[in-house]
Amino acid sequence: MNPTERIIRTLEGKPVDRVPTFCAGLEDRTFNEVLGEPWLKTKTIFANPLIKSLLNNWGPKITKTFVQPQITAGMEKRIEAAAALGFDATWALYDETFVLIDSRTMARFTGALFELIDDGFGNMTYMYKAPGIKTREAFNAWPYWPDPDAVAHRAYKFFKKTLAKYGDRVCFCGQASAYGIQESLLWTIGFEKVPLWIRKEKDLVERFITMAEELCLKTSMAMLDAGVKIILQSDDFAFKTGPMMNPKMIESLFGPSYRRIIKSVHDRGGKYILHSCGDNTVLFDMFIDWGVDGLHAYENTSTVDIFKCKERHGDRVTIIGGVGIDYLLTERSRDQEIVDQVKLLIEKLATGGRFILGPIHGMSNMPADKLRVMIDACKKYGVYRTN
Amino acid sequence: MSNALQSVIKAIDELDFDNINNVVQICLDEGISPLSIIQDGICKGLDIVGEKFNTGEYFLADLVMAGEIVNEVMPNLKARMNSSDAVQKGKVVMATVKGDIHEIGKNIVCMLLDANGFEVIDLGIDVPAERIVNTVKEKKASFIGLSCLLSTMVGSIGEVVESLKREGLREKVRVFIGGACTSEQLKDEMGADVYSATAVDAVRTMEKMCGAMT
Repeated sequence: MNPTERIIRTLEGKPVDRVPTFCAGLEDRTFNEVLGEPWLKTKTIFANPLIKSLLNNWGPKITKTFVQPQITAGMEKRIEAAAALGFDATWALYDETFVLIDSRTMARFTGALFELIDDGFGNMTYMYKAPGIKTREAFNAWPYWPDPDAVAHRAYKFFKKTLAKYGDRVCFCGQASAYGIQESLLWTIGFEKVPLWIRKEKDLVERFITMAEELCLKTSMAMLDAGVKIILQSDDFAFKTGPMMNPKMIESLFGPSYRRIIKSVHDRGGKYILHSCGDNTVLFDMFIDWGVDGLHAYENTSTVDIFKCKERHGDRVTIIGGVGIDYLLTERSRDQEIVDQVKLLIEKLATGGRFILGPIHGMSNMPADKLRVMIDACKKYGVYRTN
Repeated sequence: MSNALQSVIKAIDELDFDNINNVVQICLDEGISPLSIIQDGICKGLDIVGEKFNTGEYFLADLVMAGEIVNEVMPNLKARMNSSDAVQKGKVVMATVKGDIHEIGKNIVCMLLDANGFEVIDLGIDVPAERIVNTVKEKKASFIGLSCLLSTMVGSIGEVVESLKREGLREKVRVFIGGACTSEQLKDEMGADVYSATAVDAVRTMEKMCGAMT
């Protein structure tokens, strides 16, 4: 059974030979440990006064030519490293959403600002900084709205190439330059202002959702055309103790879009995984009703109880994740603690199938060795017990 | 309680942004003092919203909306208050720890603390321990609220606690932590005092501690 067969059968609730593993994205520190350190780290490049001046003066103009190829190469390394580590599946992300504003700031083309920071290991990474759009005027004047057809075309080319290189070693769960419809809205206008915008600027909120849906739909179709079998959409609907919004509001604002997207993916024979951080307990039934095949995260630092989730919906949807990144997959943990957690997750969640083990998220300080311990333990103890 | 004050409570409870200015103006026209509108109307409305959040009837976005409603009328009410009216429950220094720039959670806590009568000194994001402790010293604050989302930056919480000890302030200040990567276990590991899972929890615990302090 090859990794893609193993993952697809698990998403369908069919028996497989062992519990599969899923990689929730690798950051630079981790894939450099696996593939070898680059001769020049990005922090050094960004610290160069000449480069800095170039970025400060010409950032948006040189993004496509000079910066995007670096980002794309990084995306490919993530996939290559996940395959090299022995994961069955990986979050395969193609990301061309950024425009470099200056040497410290990037804008996502859907209207949010991110700060470029040092990850502590000599690499540049980014963190959400602020909404890029604060008024109706700014919404209409935003200069970087994406062209979904062009984005989808480039996503197709990326996945065609990377699938040919790594597709036989690792199952791609593809996401291409389309972030979650809800989380993109939150980033773009700022979470604190979203409730007000839903009341006062409803037409703009609807325009945004329509645009984001088109982007998700077209990039999903492009990935399927390229040969990707599973679409993975990240959309953080919850925070630590519950949903960001009233579930009824989530259903009315975003439900129709997700239903259309998931149906289109299914119509073309694809599978659909939704990643949502936080405690989604009261939302899970709605996600399942939308048609998702797998749900990822079950964040251990939130109040979600993954074991109760198995009882409640483990026969209707595949549970993915379970391994914490706050402690277990950091340098602070002992290997035996990881093995114990893997055994516990397998014991409680693998019965009856529909479980894929993996980290609940990517993180910049995740040591590759800890992931190896997790994967080895899963392969050793992950015999699938079927009902 | 007057009907006008009841209407303020109802407007906040029902998240009626469009009506809040109107009902506050009726209170003022009836001669109800700005302090009473805040204490007997707005704070009580926020209590109900907080309770509904705790029981799962309201969600984070509703909490934010309630804060926006309060923000809408507070400048007007504060401008009308005498200096002797300004009773603060306590001073809180709020910050996202060094190395972390996530601020949504912190901002929600700040908004709720402010609406509930605390004096909030918001130092923003990526704040070094030294600056937090210097501000506590200068403003004579009773609480520190530290927000941390990234597990890579949890050490910054411990730095604040250590810095407080070095300055001889540890016993005078209560250190609260919150954010995606925080937990009871982390609170103990870093030597903080209180872990709050939600913004409402943080505000309520501070209120209880204020009561115990006075």
